[in-house]
Amino acid sequence: MPHSFTAADSADATDASADRIVEALGSWGFEVDAPVATTRTLLDTFDGRLHRAGLRLELRRGTGADLVLAAGSGSPPAVLPWSGEAPRTVADLPAGPFRARLAPQVAERALLPMIVVRSQRREARRRDRRAKPVVTVVVDDELRCVDQPEAPLPAWFAQVVPVVGHDDDLARTVGRLRGLGVAPDDREVLDVALAATGRTAAGRTSSPTVPLDPADGALDAFRAVLRNLLATVVDNLPGTLADLDPEFLHELRVAVRRTRSVLAQGRGVLPDDVRDRFRTGFGQLGVATGPSRDLDVYVLGWHEAVAPLQLDPSVTDPLLAALEDRRAAARAEMATVLRSPATEALLGDWDDWLTDPDVHAGEGDPPIGEVVARRVARAQRALLEHGRAIDRGSPAEALHDLRKDAKKLRYVLECFGSLLPAKPRKAFVTQLKDLQDNLGAHQDAEVQLGALRDLAVELHERDGADADVLLAVGRMIGELDRRRQEARDDFHARFAAYDTKRNRALLDELARRARP
Amino acid sequence: MRIVATYSIKGGVGKTSTAVNLAYEASRAGTRVLVWDLDPQGSATYLFRVRPKVRGGSKRLVGGGELAAHVRGSEISSVHVAPADFSLRHLDLHLDATARPAERIAALLEPLADQYDLALLDCPPSISLASESVFGAADALLVPVVPATLASRTLNQLTAFLEGQDDPPRVLPLLSMVDRRRRLHRDLAEALARDWPDLLDTAVPAAAVIERMGVERAPVGLFAPRTAAAAAYRALWDEVAQALWPATVA
Repeated sequence: MPHSFTAADSADATDASADRIVEALGSWGFEVDAPVATTRTLLDTFDGRLHRAGLRLELRRGTGADLVLAAGSGSPPAVLPWSGEAPRTVADLPAGPFRARLAPQVAERALLPMIVVRSQRREARRRDRRAKPVVTVVVDDELRCVDQPEAPLPAWFAQVVPVVGHDDDLARTVGRLRGLGVAPDDREVLDVALAATGRTAAGRTSSPTVPLDPADGALDAFRAVLRNLLATVVDNLPGTLADLDPEFLHELRVAVRRTRSVLAQGRGVLPDDVRDRFRTGFGQLGVATGPSRDLDVYVLGWHEAVAPLQLDPSVTDPLLAALEDRRAAARAEMATVLRSPATEALLGDWDDWLTDPDVHAGEGDPPIGEVVARRVARAQRALLEHGRAIDRGSPAEALHDLRKDAKKLRYVLECFGSLLPAKPRKAFVTQLKDLQDNLGAHQDAEVQLGALRDLAVELHERDGADADVLLAVGRMIGELDRRRQEARDDFHARFAAYDTKRNRALLDELARRARP
Repeated sequence: MRIVATYSIKGGVGKTSTAVNLAYEASRAGTRVLVWDLDPQGSATYLFRVRPKVRGGSKRLVGGGELAAHVRGSEISSVHVAPADFSLRHLDLHLDATARPAERIAALLEPLADQYDLALLDCPPSISLASESVFGAADALLVPVVPATLASRTLNQLTAFLEGQDDPPRVLPLLSMVDRRRRLHRDLAEALARDWPDLLDTAVPAAAVIERMGVERAPVGLFAPRTAAAAAYRALWDEVAQALWPATVA
């Protein structure tokens, strides 16, 4: 736990307080460096993977620039001199132990700036008689969040940095600073800045669940769920447009699909004209973002898909390059739609309606628990009916439609999850997810088969692709077809595992307990 | 954590300066380093400005102590040091009193495996029970070789000894204290490269700046980063890193 100190109240703190600390340090025999304008950028994946792994990656620019990777106490920080922009992925880092520690956590995700803090930084260190540092104090003042300058940061912040094996010097310094009457803190300055800007090192969460009571009115409950989903769409829009990480687009699309699904479930609760307009609008948003996501999945999974075939990279690299070209083109088209006045109006009008204080439920607005119980039962009925009708001769579309049924049920269970008892809900969703994984594998293989066939035709017609490339495509198509067939063969066993008496009873129980 | 020992049967070949400078260059490449000074002379301890004191002596440490309790920070934030003191002159005796002496060094390092990327063991010149314990722990032995007529013989003795060990460490010989102006050094360096295919490409020069480490009490890279010696240690670290992290080195 860091040993830090700050002003008791940021409103009362003045620069003199930091100077007083530094003066005191000088009088205690510390050597004090001149102030250095310092910028610290905390880097993590959008979902805080490094934070979860107990790691902290920071780009620190002052007299030089270093990437600093810190873990818990006892372990020294790893320091890598760094020039230029912050690394965007682990592939930007040089090979070696620094990258090796980050790679398993970050994988292919982008490293994003979680917060950027500027300060005037003074370092003071005390040395022993061998002239070795035994304790360091870092004093930051003129603190400012770069992207949120109005965030209320303390005027100054001091942190005592221990040196391993010199606990006495640490304790003595902490005691002396306490004696100055400044307020102790147990955070690092970046944590203080995160808190001041309302952010968290744990990254974004896009939980669709909002707190609801079964007796709440259905209209207000639907609006609360939809407001939360809209916030997720809006949160992920800048990252999607900047192409920072494929996860932004993925999260945006999931929120759009959930929005459409909740609108569909809102029949009889939400006004018909509102439902019709926004289902259409979000449907168009789903269509506009679909090709980019499909190509993201394809490009991200490329190496894993190609590796077992042991194809020559000279043959597969041009295919990957062609896919990446397609992805870039799809991204550009998508960005045009996302930046269009139509999208702006869609999101703006939707926000207006969802936050309009004059929208009131009419007579007979049912309690949300009642509505959700009925929707859960209906979605399950449709899923079971359609699933049981699928046999070995059914077309691929039947599995695709069943996948949509499963999503509908899943979205109700998740978006209105706070109305359902947590433990049985999670147990049921695990079963449902198992079925969805099978249907997803089938659908992904179908989509990728189509994309690969299109690509082969395009390469042949445009460049007269040589036989080796076309043969490689043929082998990849064969592999995808094998995977598609494997998923298809597995379907009946998976569906049977889902369509059990115990599982059906579990869902009936969930629906019953949702009622007020 | 990878474990590397700077080791030679001969003394005065540059083991300690290799360990200290390699620790610094590794830290500059984003590596968390623990230097464990096993030489009772404590030269690495001195160069890192750490107090030469093993609390309770090496008997207590080897007989059931924790290495972490002895670790000290240094001027370089990512380099920690487990210091030596004169009690290490009896290390063989103390190891001999343990149940599995050949595994004892590895056992002492094991609890620190998540805290460091690299442990650099600076060994005294000998072949002894302590050396065997080091061989049992190390992934690689970095063996400085001075260009002298008996250099090859020294390496042969070491490899012959290691042949009898289970899972012996990789031997990485490197030329140390080389004076390229001397024809004899050039000829012997060429001969060694022929005889020892694993000989590292980097040759550490005989340089006054390396001797100055004792005055500066710091690695060369810290007080003379633009010298040929500092460049040699940087290149040496690149080679050692390639050998230690092959899967992550493009």
